[in-house]
Amino acid sequence: MSYVRRVAGGAIAALLAATVLAGCGTSASSDDGAKSSGPWSFVSGNGKTVKLDTTPKRIIASGAEAAALISFGIKPVGIYTNTKIKDDPNLKGLDLTGITILGETWGEIDVEKAAALKPDLIVADWWPAEKAYSGLESGVKASSKKLADLAPIVGVAQGDSIETLAQGYEKLAMSLGADVDDPKIAADKKAFETAKAAFKKAVAAKPGLSVLAVSPADDVLYLANPTYAPELLDFQRWGLDVINPDKPDKGFPYWENLSWENADKYQPDLLLIDDRSYASTLKQGEKQPTWNNIKAAKAKAYAPWPAYWMHTYGEYAKQLTQLTAAIEKADANLA
Amino acid sequence: MIDVVVSDRRTRRTRAGAVTGALALVAFALFILTMMVGSYYVPAWDVITSAFHLRDDPSVDFIVRDLRLPTATAALAVGFALGVSGLLFQKLLGNPLASPDFVGISSGASLFAVSAIILFGAGSTMISASALAGALISAILIYLLAWRDGISGYRFILIGIGLSEFMLSIIGYIVAHAELYEARQAMTWLVGTVGQAGSTELRTLLVALVVLVPAALVLQRPLRVLELGDDTAKALGARVEVSRLALIAVSIVLIGFATAVAGPIMFVALIAGPIAHRIVGHSGGGIIAAGLVGSIIVLGADLVAHHLLPVALPTGVITGIIGAPYLIWLLATVNREGRGG
Amino acid sequence: MTMLETPTPSRETAPRHRPGAGLAAGLVLLIGVLLVVCFFSITLGSRGVGVPTIWKAFTDFNPGSASETVIREMRVPRTLIGVLAGAALGLSGTILQGVTRNPLADPGIMGINAGAAAFIVFGIMILGVQDVIGYVWLAFAGAGVATVVVYGVASFGREGATPVKLALAGAAVTAVLSSLTSAIVMTNVDALNELRFWQVGSLAGRYMPVFWQTAPFIVVGLVVAMVTGRALNGLALGEDLALALGQRLRLTRFVMFATVAVLCGAATAACGPIVFVGLVVPHLARFICGPDYRWILPYALVLTPIVLLVADIIGRVVVSPGELQVGVVLGVFGAPAFIALVRYRNLAEL
Repeated sequence: MSYVRRVAGGAIAALLAATVLAGCGTSASSDDGAKSSGPWSFVSGNGKTVKLDTTPKRIIASGAEAAALISFGIKPVGIYTNTKIKDDPNLKGLDLTGITILGETWGEIDVEKAAALKPDLIVADWWPAEKAYSGLESGVKASSKKLADLAPIVGVAQGDSIETLAQGYEKLAMSLGADVDDPKIAADKKAFETAKAAFKKAVAAKPGLSVLAVSPADDVLYLANPTYAPELLDFQRWGLDVINPDKPDKGFPYWENLSWENADKYQPDLLLIDDRSYASTLKQGEKQPTWNNIKAAKAKAYAPWPAYWMHTYGEYAKQLTQLTAAIEKADANLA
Repeated sequence: MIDVVVSDRRTRRTRAGAVTGALALVAFALFILTMMVGSYYVPAWDVITSAFHLRDDPSVDFIVRDLRLPTATAALAVGFALGVSGLLFQKLLGNPLASPDFVGISSGASLFAVSAIILFGAGSTMISASALAGALISAILIYLLAWRDGISGYRFILIGIGLSEFMLSIIGYIVAHAELYEARQAMTWLVGTVGQAGSTELRTLLVALVVLVPAALVLQRPLRVLELGDDTAKALGARVEVSRLALIAVSIVLIGFATAVAGPIMFVALIAGPIAHRIVGHSGGGIIAAGLVGSIIVLGADLVAHHLLPVALPTGVITGIIGAPYLIWLLATVNREGRGG
Repeated sequence: MTMLETPTPSRETAPRHRPGAGLAAGLVLLIGVLLVVCFFSITLGSRGVGVPTIWKAFTDFNPGSASETVIREMRVPRTLIGVLAGAALGLSGTILQGVTRNPLADPGIMGINAGAAAFIVFGIMILGVQDVIGYVWLAFAGAGVATVVVYGVASFGREGATPVKLALAGAAVTAVLSSLTSAIVMTNVDALNELRFWQVGSLAGRYMPVFWQTAPFIVVGLVVAMVTGRALNGLALGEDLALALGQRLRLTRFVMFATVAVLCGAATAACGPIVFVGLVVPHLARFICGPDYRWILPYALVLTPIVLLVADIIGRVVVSPGELQVGVVLGVFGAPAFIALVRYRNLAEL
């Protein structure tokens, strides 16, 4: 999980996203029908256009991106992930039969196996701050980077919104021949719209409710800076008061680092807790003596925060519904 | 009488040559074997024709040339550099335990490389340069701190170990305070694996080997004199002192670059020299033989680490497991000043 | 032969003539210093808390007050753990140096901490151990195995465990164990994240449960360690004399090594591997009170916690509001002390 750094990707993307995603919006050139096999092109997250003679069929994708494609009925031939497949929130419950696993550890991709799959496209998020695609960042094994020699890479740039990220993959999937009329796919998108409306309504019904996104660790309490967390920006856009910490770390502004001695600095009504290994993260917090000096923690007003990983409408709908329930239950005037 | 000595020396030299040749063959065989195995088997002949550009065959070229050749070359070169470096060190300090990987030189290289990765987000060239600088600085520090009317092997070793702990605690701090992402990059690097570094580091090491190994061979003559002991060496004048310093520099540059390519791979520098010495016989203990033994160990360890075990382990763990028993034996046989018997 | 100060009979009898009253007064003074250091350890931190609040935290504790919680449930346990772990490391270093008759014997240098650390990591990763009490037992096992291996390896051969051999054996074992540990940890990011904080050695984030779970072991270890003074004095005379004095060498050694493993293991389980403090402080104690272990032991018992807590406070102050782990501070200050020791004592002639 290089998600922690991933936020860095989101950071600058926040500034660039508008332009980049605008590019993506017009990127699917093959609008003459999804089934076409004619020349294919896509404007990738880094602004470069990838052109191919035929629509790619054999795709290798990074885990979350693969989940996004699968949600549109496009099945990659191979995937690689940062973590064990069973621990990857995006791949949970997906049918992966027939997909070759090329690596389950960050930085390690079995390029020999990948080569044997004869891919004609590689799909991975583009991280503007690192100027790299998922799995090919600096620091990964030199041999893993050879993946880029096998086929062109495209991906949507990580930006300031999960909604636009999902839209970007929707565009990519359509250009690759996704059947948008498939009732299942349409249902996912509709579920998202419904969940979004419900979320907005719940937020509007609780004026004054403040929320803080945290990731408790052994040595410090990390407070998420929404500026760099695309889903938190979405929530703010939809009216939720997500607290912006006033002293983000200078070198790494994605978080404010609070020593546990000062854990009571902010007093939100609801705590969003980093859901990448939710249980153990929550336990880290609960074992700190000052945890209970945060009134929301004392009242056990928690909800999981899908931190940085979502890519699909379906997943977003699920998470929003969960969060809406937590907001409805929350008390805007915790004593 | 003189005739006997000369002919004796000649037979020894012939033997040394033959054994060195045999070592080269083994190293080459392992080099090819490494490129044959992997997710897909490639026959030996195809490996050779592809790796040496004797024939173009797109079906194997990508796997052999792009994927396996850099790793195999890295193993070969790193092993060679470590072997040569260790041998020079041991000879110069007159102590088989004076291996650069324990006396703080590898940890110096590690500290600088890790700082480069984490504090400065350095690219590959910078990592190489930092590792080299770290090796040099820590060597100079140890040398200065251990100097007291000359250098004694045991004091050098103990101070090196102390300095090593010092550097390791700083590394611990840096890693603990890095972002997880970079901490992981640094940890991967710290375990030591061939094939993790890019082509720039590898090219730097190869150039260093091509330049420095012949240089070391030239300097080997005064080195032989050193074996007679410092008193004899002193009698031969300042020229010896110069070659001695030059050889230490060669040794440190090699270990610095090797560390830049593969991270700290333990024990190879310690065991390559003595093994070569044993195989080649007492006349030799030659630089080339030690380098080849180093290559064989690293290539072999890499094969075991990546292909024979159910879980792929870093190369450094395997060399550690090979090296530890040797060290135990060495410790058991050293005499009280820590000199090997 | 390998003792730092070769105990000739005349020097051995010297402590008896030394005014014990002076040493006793010194010890009382040091206890006073320790109390002062404890006070600062409780008052200093990233959250400013006034003395009245501290007083209230003890006399009229209100869990709703964050400041009082910080004092009572964070800084007090931290200080207590620092005192206990310091005492454990100091005494285990003293005993190791005495029993191996080796001035460079130290739980860190000898790889005993690394052994405990490696076992804990294996336990977390392979057995899924998650509680401190589990760590403690794993640490005992690891410390014990490492002690036996390192000392055993170093004692091979005619010369026995010389400083160089002991240090090298320790360095080698540490190298192998730490590369194995890292290799295992690399496959699991969460474990990596946990380990990288734990492996530097720190008193931060250690609260009352950790104290209660390690304290019994350390206290028992300390009690046993404190009564080894006479036996250590005997060992210092050399095997032959010790035998003549009626010591059962094998049993004595076993008890001492077991004590070292318990003390190091518990200290490592509580705060992670901490090097150098167990090496340097016994020398300091020896410098103050001469070669009689009946004085060295109590001095090490009080001095080591002082050094550990002062290092911890320095770590809290220098990079405020962040923290420098105590293991790092000790590594940085301990290494020069170690080097000085190697430089100015002619070890080969011991």
